[in-house]
Formats: sequence, structure tokens, C-alpha cells
Amino acid sequence: MSQLKFKITDMSVNYGPFTALQGINIDVKQSELVVLLGANGAGKSTIFRAISGLNKPSKGEIKFSEKKVNGMSPDKLVKLGIVQCAEGRKLFPEMTISENLRMGGFVHRKNKKELKTMMEHVYELFPILKDKKDDHAGSMSGGQQQMLAIGRALMSRPKLLMLDEPSLGLAPLIVKQMFEIIQRINKEGTTILLAEQNASAALKIADRGYVIENGQIVVTGSSDQLLNNEEIRKAYIGA
Amino acid sequence: MDLFLQQLLNGLSNGSVYSLVALGLTMVFGILHVPNFAHGAFYMIGAYVSLTIMSLFGIPYWIAMLISMFAIALLAVISERLIYHPLRNAAGLHQMMGAIGILLFLVAFAQVVWGPNYQQMSSPYNGAISIFGTTFTQQRIIVIIATVIIMLILHFFLTKTMIGSAIIAMAQNREGAYLVGINANMVVMLTFAISGILAAAAATLASPINLVFPGMGDLVIMKAFVIIIIGGMGSIPGAIIAGYLLGIVESFGATYISGDYKDVIAFALLVIILTVKPTGLFTRRAY
Repeated sequence: MSQLKFKITDMSVNYGPFTALQGINIDVKQSELVVLLGANGAGKSTIFRAISGLNKPSKGEIKFSEKKVNGMSPDKLVKLGIVQCAEGRKLFPEMTISENLRMGGFVHRKNKKELKTMMEHVYELFPILKDKKDDHAGSMSGGQQQMLAIGRALMSRPKLLMLDEPSLGLAPLIVKQMFEIIQRINKEGTTILLAEQNASAALKIADRGYVIENGQIVVTGSSDQLLNNEEIRKAYIGA
Repeated sequence: MDLFLQQLLNGLSNGSVYSLVALGLTMVFGILHVPNFAHGAFYMIGAYVSLTIMSLFGIPYWIAMLISMFAIALLAVISERLIYHPLRNAAGLHQMMGAIGILLFLVAFAQVVWGPNYQQMSSPYNGAISIFGTTFTQQRIIVIIATVIIMLILHFFLTKTMIGSAIIAMAQNREGAYLVGINANMVVMLTFAISGILAAAAATLASPINLVFPGMGDLVIMKAFVIIIIGGMGSIPGAIIAGYLLGIVESFGATYISGDYKDVIAFALLVIILTVKPTGLFTRRAY
């Protein structure tokens, strides 16, 4: 039995006079991996920013475990377990890898033992981070930075992990590894909301998906349904 | 040789005070991207608080300094809550006007409470000591030692504690800091408190050498701005190194060129360094 964990109802977001999102409805259940598909500028990142409390929705409601969370400040949301690994990574460039990870566990800073266990776990998922743990984050390659960004998000022990385009700008081989790791994190029990342009790779690991165009959800369904949808194949998979 | 050593020590002690003031300024700038023009007024009030509690209650120098640090930390946090926080989403110009408002208010406040006169702060280190045959004022040595200790404590706090690292994290990537669960308000207040502590310490250290008066912060804050521009806006090592650089150049300039040009030298140094390296010595790299 899976209880409903996360639900967005009729959410709109404005940037000044411009409507970025309109009437968004998304729900994510315990342990699911749900993907948001859409082209550049469709509104995926805006949805994530609104969930994380970086932008305030002008309308609608976001509920997390039956608790209304829209309008809460970003740090409170992280404490609740809603954690975003943002597009552009947003690392601390002049801190080392291990310092970045340590900061990722900021909300659990009182529990040193748990931080240590989590860091070991992140190093196990991404061995390269352990090898380079004293290097500055800003000096790493794009793929390594992305791994660090995911690792840093994991340090706060998310209940709902949002990953914004983790494959963006990475080499194909690294992209494959990245999706395998995302799937593994999901299998270990973390609920994941994934924003992607790489539809075929994302749908292979996802349970369900939403397709976003011009700030609205246009299609939703299980991964199989979306993979077999002729229009989606044409628009996002190109086959 | 005597003169050289003495001027070096004068430069180091003046540089210590400049660095402490500039550190607070650069940390606030790193977090808020606001030039806190009121920082010099915090420095001035810090001197008066120490002076008053020492002369009224006979409290020893170091304890007076601690009380003053606490008082100015509180003053800085209150200024942030009342002025900068409500203006946080306004254009930068509004925050600068707010800062000048705080500055004018505090200078007027000092004139009403303590009067416009120059006052002297006594310290237990008024004597002179002799090292390698050269005579030094004790207070100047004390300034340098105390500054180094304060900087070490600050360094430890910023790098070894999670709360301190949150300040660095927020200066490096503001949204990244939000996304790991750092409370922005907490970090901003903490940064202002530290800048106040540093200003009060610098003022209490410098006052027995200089004098205490309502305008004492004006020249110091101008030089602190020169320092953080030379050092690279928001850079902590930049503020320390540029602070000492300015102190030493000023001191030698005053001796070997002319004492009349002491205060001009800071700005000449600014022009020269910005001509050669327009971004300052320690600009944060952009990734």
C-alpha cells in the first residue's frame, strides 16, 4: 500500500506580468520515480523552484504528507525532506568536494554520526568524489560536478528528491551512469521527481511521467503509455 | 634602521586596525552585496562604548572590549533588522541610502551623548618597550597580537564550524545555500553581528593610540572601502592582505615622502592598483 506523499493542485506561477505556469496538477506517491518532460523553457525548472520555495506560486496549493507547504521558506522545506538538486548545480565553487558534501548535511549538523554515514554512502555511490575529495568543486568536470550536486542533495536525507536535468551537458556514457545511479537511489527508497529533456532515457527508469509545454501539463501517463504515444515519440524521442 | 623598524611596526599596527574594519565590511558585502556605509559609525560607537564603561565603571580594558563587542554586534543586528531587512528586495540604491541614514543618525547620536570633543582612552599598555635596541609603544604591539588572535578565531569559526561555513557558502552561491537548508535570515544576522564585533574590537584597540571623537569613523571607513576594493570585493584574505599593505605603505610614505600626504597615499595606492589590476588583488573566480 502506498500512501499519497506529495500533491500539487492547480498551481500557477507568475514572473511579473508574465504567466510562467498555469493550472499545474502533479502527484507523486511514496517511492515512485516520476519524470517531468519538456523542452527548454517549458516550465520544468519553474515548477521545481516553486516547490523549493525559491519562487512563490500566485495560485494553488502544494501538499506534502497532508501538510500545506507552499509559502514556506526553502530551509524549512529542506528540513521537511523536500530537497532539490538544481539545474546549474549551484555548488560552492571554492569549497572542496568534502566541504560541499558536509554543507549538504547542514540541517543534520547536530548529528555528526549520521553525517558520516551519509557521506560514506555518497562516496560509495560516486567513488570519484572520494578520490577527489580535497579538490575544489569549481575545478571539476561537468559530470563530476553533477555527481557532487546529487551527492550534496542526498546528504540532507531527502524524502522527496527533485533532480533538475541531471544529464544536461554530459557525455553519453556519463549520462547512462547517471541514470543508473538515479534508479539505484530510487530503489533504495527515495521518492524522486526528475525533470528531463532526454525522454527515452528518463522514461526507461521512471514509473510515470508528465509532459509540459508552455507552462501547462499536456499529457500524463505511465512510462509505457508515454513511450508508445506517437506525438511524444515524435516530439521528444525523435523516432 | 631604528626608524625603519618603528615605521614597520606602526604600519603593522595601523594595518591590523584597517584589516579588522575591512573584514567586517567585506563579509557583509559578500553576503548582501551592499556597501555598508554605516560600518564606520559602528566603529566609532564601539570606541565610545568601551571608553564610557571604562571611565564610568572602572571596568578593565579587555572586559570593556568584550562588552563593546557585544553591544556593537547587537547594534549591527538591530540595524539589519530595521533597515536592511525591509529593503532587501528594493534596488541597491535604497539600501545605500538606508546605510547613510544609519551613519548620520549614529554620528548625531554620538555628538548629543558624548559631545563633539576629542577624548582620550587610556589603556594599561601606555608604556614603551625596547626590542633589539628600538623603542616601541606597548599598545602597538598589543594591537598586532590581539588582531592576529581575533583573525585566527574568525578563521576557525568560518572553516571548522557548520554555522560559520554557512556564511562562506552563502557568499559563494546564494541559492545553493538555500537549497541545502541554510536559513538566509540567520546567516545575514550572524554576518552583521560578526562585522559589529570586529568593528568594536578594532576601535577599542586603536583608540588609545588615536583619539575618540564623533567623526573618527569617517576616514577609517573610507580606507576600509579602499582596502576591500584593492583586495577584491567580498574576499576575506584580500581584506587582510590589502589592510596590512595599506597600513605599511602609509606608514613608510609618511616617513620617507611627507607626513602631510599620509591620507592621500591610500587613495593613490587604490588608483595605482586598479590601473594595473582592475578587479582587485583577490577577485573571486567565476565558474
